[in-house]
Amino acid sequence: MKNNLCRYPFLSASILPFLLILSIPALGATEQSGSDEVFWLWKFLGRLHPLAVHFPVGLLVFAAFLELFTIGKFNSKLRPGINLLILAGVGGAVVSVAFGLLLANLEGYGGDTLSIHQWTGIGTAVLGLGLLFMLHQVSNRNKLNHIVPFRALLFVTGLGVSIAGHFGASLTHGEEYLTSVLPWNEDEAYAAVDMDIDLVSFQTEELSEEKQIKLVGQVRAIFAHNCYNCHSTAKIKGDLRLDDKEHVFKGGESGAVIIPGDPKNSDLVRRINLPKNHKDAMPSKGKTLSKDEISVITLWIDKGAPWPEGVENQSVYRVAELAPRRPDLPRAKAGLDNPVDLLVDDYYLQKSQSWKDPVDDKTFLRRIYLDLLGILPSPQEYEAFASDSQSDKRELWVEKLLARNDDYAIHWMTFWNDALRNDYTGTGYITKGRFAITDWLYASLKENKPYDQFVKQLLNPDEKSKGFIEGIRWRGDVNASQVTEMQAAQNVGQVILGLNLKCASCHDSFISDWKLEEAYAFANIFADTTLEVSRCETPIGKKASTKLLWEELGEIDSTANRSEKLQQLAEYLVQPANGRMYRTIVNRVWKQLMGRGLVEPADEMDNEPWSQDLLDWLASDFADNGYDLKDLIRTIATSKAYQQPSIGFDDPLALIDENFVFEGMVRRRLTAEQFSDAVSRIIYPLFEEKQIKYDPFQLVASEQQQLEYPRASLVANNDFLKALGRPNREIVSTNRDSQASLLQALELTNGETLNSALRDGAKRWKEKYPDGDILIHEIYRQLYGRDPQQNEFNISSEVLGDTPSEEQIQDFFWALLLLPEFQLIY
Amino acid sequence: MKTDWKRREFLKKTSAAAIATMGLGTPFTGLLSSCSGNQGMPSTADSVILLYMAGGMAHTETFDPKKYTPFRKGMESNEVLSTFPSVPTVLDGIHFSEGLEKIGQIIDRGALIRSYVAADLGHILHTRHQYHWHTCYEPPQSVLVPHMGSWVAKELGPLNPVIPPFININQRFTVGEGEELKAFHSAGFLGSEYGPFLIPDPTGGLESVRPPEGMNTKRFESRNQLYERLVQESALGEYGSDYQKESLKRSMEQAYILLNSPEAKAFDLTEEPKEKYDIYNTGRFGLGCLMARRLVDEGARFISVTTEYEPFFGWDTHENGHTRLVDMKKMIDSPIAQLIKDLDESGRLERTLVIVASEFSRDMMTEGRPDLKVKDQVEVPDFIEDMKNYGMHRHFTDGCSMLMFGGGIKRGHVFGKTADERPCKTVENPIKIDSVHQTMYHALGIDPEKHYEIEKRPFYTTPDGLGKPVMDLLV
Repeated sequence: MKNNLCRYPFLSASILPFLLILSIPALGATEQSGSDEVFWLWKFLGRLHPLAVHFPVGLLVFAAFLELFTIGKFNSKLRPGINLLILAGVGGAVVSVAFGLLLANLEGYGGDTLSIHQWTGIGTAVLGLGLLFMLHQVSNRNKLNHIVPFRALLFVTGLGVSIAGHFGASLTHGEEYLTSVLPWNEDEAYAAVDMDIDLVSFQTEELSEEKQIKLVGQVRAIFAHNCYNCHSTAKIKGDLRLDDKEHVFKGGESGAVIIPGDPKNSDLVRRINLPKNHKDAMPSKGKTLSKDEISVITLWIDKGAPWPEGVENQSVYRVAELAPRRPDLPRAKAGLDNPVDLLVDDYYLQKSQSWKDPVDDKTFLRRIYLDLLGILPSPQEYEAFASDSQSDKRELWVEKLLARNDDYAIHWMTFWNDALRNDYTGTGYITKGRFAITDWLYASLKENKPYDQFVKQLLNPDEKSKGFIEGIRWRGDVNASQVTEMQAAQNVGQVILGLNLKCASCHDSFISDWKLEEAYAFANIFADTTLEVSRCETPIGKKASTKLLWEELGEIDSTANRSEKLQQLAEYLVQPANGRMYRTIVNRVWKQLMGRGLVEPADEMDNEPWSQDLLDWLASDFADNGYDLKDLIRTIATSKAYQQPSIGFDDPLALIDENFVFEGMVRRRLTAEQFSDAVSRIIYPLFEEKQIKYDPFQLVASEQQQLEYPRASLVANNDFLKALGRPNREIVSTNRDSQASLLQALELTNGETLNSALRDGAKRWKEKYPDGDILIHEIYRQLYGRDPQQNEFNISSEVLGDTPSEEQIQDFFWALLLLPEFQLIY
Repeated sequence: MKTDWKRREFLKKTSAAAIATMGLGTPFTGLLSSCSGNQGMPSTADSVILLYMAGGMAHTETFDPKKYTPFRKGMESNEVLSTFPSVPTVLDGIHFSEGLEKIGQIIDRGALIRSYVAADLGHILHTRHQYHWHTCYEPPQSVLVPHMGSWVAKELGPLNPVIPPFININQRFTVGEGEELKAFHSAGFLGSEYGPFLIPDPTGGLESVRPPEGMNTKRFESRNQLYERLVQESALGEYGSDYQKESLKRSMEQAYILLNSPEAKAFDLTEEPKEKYDIYNTGRFGLGCLMARRLVDEGARFISVTTEYEPFFGWDTHENGHTRLVDMKKMIDSPIAQLIKDLDESGRLERTLVIVASEFSRDMMTEGRPDLKVKDQVEVPDFIEDMKNYGMHRHFTDGCSMLMFGGGIKRGHVFGKTADERPCKTVENPIKIDSVHQTMYHALGIDPEKHYEIEKRPFYTTPDGLGKPVMDLLV
C-alpha cells in the first residue's frame, strides 16, 4: 500500500523551518552588537513557541500510542492516520525548535534547564526527521526490515518530546512545578522573613495607620534581606536604592519600579515574578522570593504602597531582648530533676518529641572526658565507672572531672585561645604589635574565675590580659575599619556580646540595625582620643560620641581618659542587666557540649533560639550562681538532655537551619587537640618537648605535677594541627569545622608527624605486648574502651599474626585511629 | 549567574548538537557536559601557573629597562637608572635587562605588562603586600580571606580528580615572617578543603604524595584494606550516613587514589629526562617550574611557584642590588623560558595561563610612590662609593612589570608603559590587583560577581566584586 503523504515535497517543506534555525545565530549577533531593537516579527514568532510546541507533543505521543495497535500488522487501517500524525508532529517539532531558539536568544532565558530543554527539543526534531526518512523507506520502498527500527525511533521520539516538554514546563512554571504537589514534597516554599502578618485582614479597602506601618515594615524586611546587597548605600546597582522611602519611589535608571496602586505595571513586581533563569529576574543573585514574600509586596503596592512617616525607626531585624529573664520552671516531674530537663521536656511536648533512653555508661564516660577535659578515659577509669554502684555516679563523676583543674584548663585553653585570638606565635608578635594573654588565661581557667570577673579583666585589663582588646597592630596603614580600637569593638561585640559590628564599622549595616556611628561610638571607648568616622574608607569629617551599644546599661563619660572609659565599660557590661552577655556565654558552652547552640550561629545572638525559655533560664541561673562556668557545665552535663543518644546529620547546613529541632547532642569530630592528645597518650607523643610554648608546671615541676606528654593545646601551631582544624588565630574564631578534607586525609595518611609517632609507638607497644592477641585486646581497650568484637578480632588477628612485626602494628594502629568510632564524639 | 548568551558559545553549542545528533546513538548527557561548560561562563583557560617573584622585583632591572648607568666610583645615586645594559627581545623595539635573554626569546608567546601599580599600604611590608597580591584584600581583614588559588579550587575543583586543585611550591614557613606568610596561604572561610597543598621543596615533592617512608605499595595497599574492613565491622557502622564520617571516608579514598595513582609520578622530578631537568635546574625555583609543568601535564588546576620570600633574600635587595640580581635573573631566565616553550609545544599553553609577578618593584631613590612617599627603610648615600650601594634598594609601588602567557592571553602584546626618567612610574594603562585577579577569573570562566555570604554579608573574589578584566590582554 502506498502512502501519498510521504512524498519529498512534504519533507522539504518541513526542512524549511530548519533553515530558519540556522539563521538565528546571526540574529543573536545583530541583537548583541547593534543597539537597535530586534525586528518585532522575530520576537512575535518566538513567543509563538509555547503555542507551537503543543502540536508535536500531542501528535507524536498519540502516534506512538496508535503504533502500539499496529504491532503484528504494520499496514493496518490506522497506518495512514499514524503517518499523518507523524508528519504533522515532526513538522511541528521543527517549527517549535525554530521559534524556541528565537525565544531563548531574544528574550534572555538561560541556565541548565534551558540547555536540557533546548537539546532534547532539537534532538527530538532531528530524530523526527530521521523518523520521516525511515517511514519513507518502509512505506515507499517497502524495506520491511526497517519496520522495527522505525518503531523504536518512534517511541524514542515520543519519549524525547515528552522530556523536552517537561523541561519546557519547568522553565515557565518553575522547577518544582510538577513535583511540588506530591504529598511528600510539601512545604517547599518557605518564607525567609517571619510572616507574622495575616494577609487576609489587610484586604480591606482602607488600611489603618497601624496596618500600614506593619505592612511596609514587612516589605522593608524583605528588601533588606533580599535586595540591600545590591540596592543600598553599600552598592547601588542600576541606580536603584531600596533602603529608604525617597529612593524606593524614585526608582532606578529605567525609571520608577513601583507604581502605587498598580502592581501589574510595577516593574519590581514583574521582575520578582520572573523565573529564575530570566535575565531580568530579581533577586538576580541568591534565592528567589517566596510566594508569601511576593504576595506581601504585591499587596502593599496594590494598597497604594503606603509609607507613613517615622517607619524608618521601626526595626526590620529580629533583635533579642537585652534584659535577663527568668522563666518559671515547669512543675517537677518524675525522673526529671534537672531544670534543663524540665524545660526540654516542655519543648519536647511542643515538638511532639519524646525522651529516649540515656546513653550507656561507657558512652557517657567517653563524652564527659572529651567534653570536659579533652581526653579519653583510660581502661581503668572505664572499669571504675562501670563498677561504681552509686545511683548518682554520673553526677559525681562530672564533679570529679571538673575538679581536675589543670586538665580542665588545658582543655578549655583551646576554646578560649580560638575565641580570644590568643596564640603562642603568629602575626604581630615579632613587631610588638600583639600581646599574648596565655598566663592570665590559664590561671583564670584553672581557678575557675567567675565569668563577670573574667570579662572585666579582659575589657579593663592589666598587662597580662590586655592582649584581647589591644588587637593586632600591623605595620603600615590599615583600613579605618581595622584600626585596633575598631578591632576591639568588633571582637568584644562578636565574642562577648554575640553580635556583628563588622559591617557597621564601615557603613550602616544592612544585616542588622547597627549604624556606622554606633560602631564608632563603641570603638571610641577603646581609644585614647575620639576616632574620626570613615564611611567605606572615606572620612566623613565627623566624630562620633562615646557610647555603649545599649545606653540603658550606662553612660560612658566621653571626657574621661582611656582607662577610665574601659573601667566604666567593664562595669556596665558585666551587670546582670546585660542579659545578652550571659545568654551569649551559656549558649557557647551549650554548643561546646551539645555540638549545636541554642542559637546559631553562636556569634549572632539576635537569632531565635530553639528554646527561649531554656536559654533565658540558663543565663539567669548562671548569673544567680556566681557566674560559675564549671557549675554551668555541670548543669548541662548532668542533664538527661545531654545524655540522649547522639544525632547525626547528612547535611551540615541542616545543623544551622532555623527549623532545627533539638533531639540530643550532635555528633562531631574530635578537635585537632583531642585527637592529638589521645594519640600522644596511647600510642606515642606526637610533639616534642621543645614544641611546648606554655608549660603550666614549669615553676612547680615535680613528680606529681608535670605534663605527661606535650599537650596539643600548649604547643605552637604546626602543619599537623592546622590540617586537623586548629585555626590561624589572627581573628577570633568560635567554630571548628567538623568536615574532613583531602589535605587532612593526606596529612593523616602520609604526614610525617603521625607516621613517625606510629612508628615509634609500634616499637614501644611491641616491646610491651609481643603477643598479637594480647596487643589487639589492649589497644581496643585503650582506644575504644572495649574489647574487640569477634569479627574485628579475626580481621586484626589475621593481619597481625601471633608475633606481629613493628610495621604490622604500625599499620594496624593507623587503621584503628581513622575509624569513626575513634574520630567522633558520639 | 549571568545567563545571556554569547554568540560564540551559541555557535559552539549548535555545532556540538549537530555533530552529536549525526550519530543518533550519542547519549544526551555526554552532550550536555561538553557544552554546559562552567555554569555558562565561557573560559579560555583550565589551569593557572603563578610564578611569583617574592620580595619586590625591580622593573628597571628586569622587564622594563631604562638607560644603563654603569657603576663609577663616586657617581650620584640619583643618576642610577638601570644597572644593567639592555638586550633586544624577539619583539621589535622591546628590550629586557641583560640576563633575561631566554625569556626575551619567548615573549612573543605572551603579553608583557609594564604598568602594574601596587596599593598604598603605608609603611612598606612585604608580607602585607603579598597578602594583598594573593588575596586581593588589604590586610588585616575581619574574616579569614582566601588565597586566589583557593577561590579557583573552590569554584572549579580539581581538573584531574586525583591532583589537589591548589598546589603551592617552594615557600617554607620556617623562615622570617613565616607566620605572616601563613596568613594568606590559606583557604580562609572557604574551608581547609580548598587550602594549598604545600610542597616546600620540589626535589622532595614526591615525598608529599608518596606513601610514608619505609612503606612499599603492597603494604600501603593492605593497610588501606585493613582500614576498609574494620570500617565495615565497626560498632558505629550504623552512623554510616554521618557527613563527618562520609567526608572523612571520601577524603581518605581521595588521598589513597592520589598516593597510588600514576599521576603521582608528576611529583617525581627524577622521571624527567636529564637534558630537560638540567635546563630547568637553576635551584628550587627552576625545579618548581619543572614540577609545575609536569603537574599541568597531568591536569593540575592552580599551581603557585615562588622564588620564596625570606626577608632580605631573593628579590628583597636592601643592598648589593646589582650583584644579587645577576643571580636572581639566572635563577628565573632559563626555567621560565623553558616552561613556556614546553607548554607551547605540547599545546597546553592554549589552556594554561602563566603569570609572572611580584608584589611591587624597587627603585634607587623612591620609597613608596613619587607622590606618596613613605618612611625610608634603606639608607641611600648621595654618592656611591661602594658597589654594595649600587642597585635598587628601596620599595617602589608605582610601576611594576608582569608577564602573562597562554590561556587566552594575546601573543606578543605589550601593555602599559612607565616613564624613562626617574621616577620611572606608570604613565600608561595602569592596572591594579583587582583587575589582575578579574583577568584571571575571566580566563577561567569564573563569574566576576562570584561571592559567598560570610557572616551575612557578601564576600566577592575581589573587594565588592570590583575590578574589570583587562580585555586588551585577552584574545
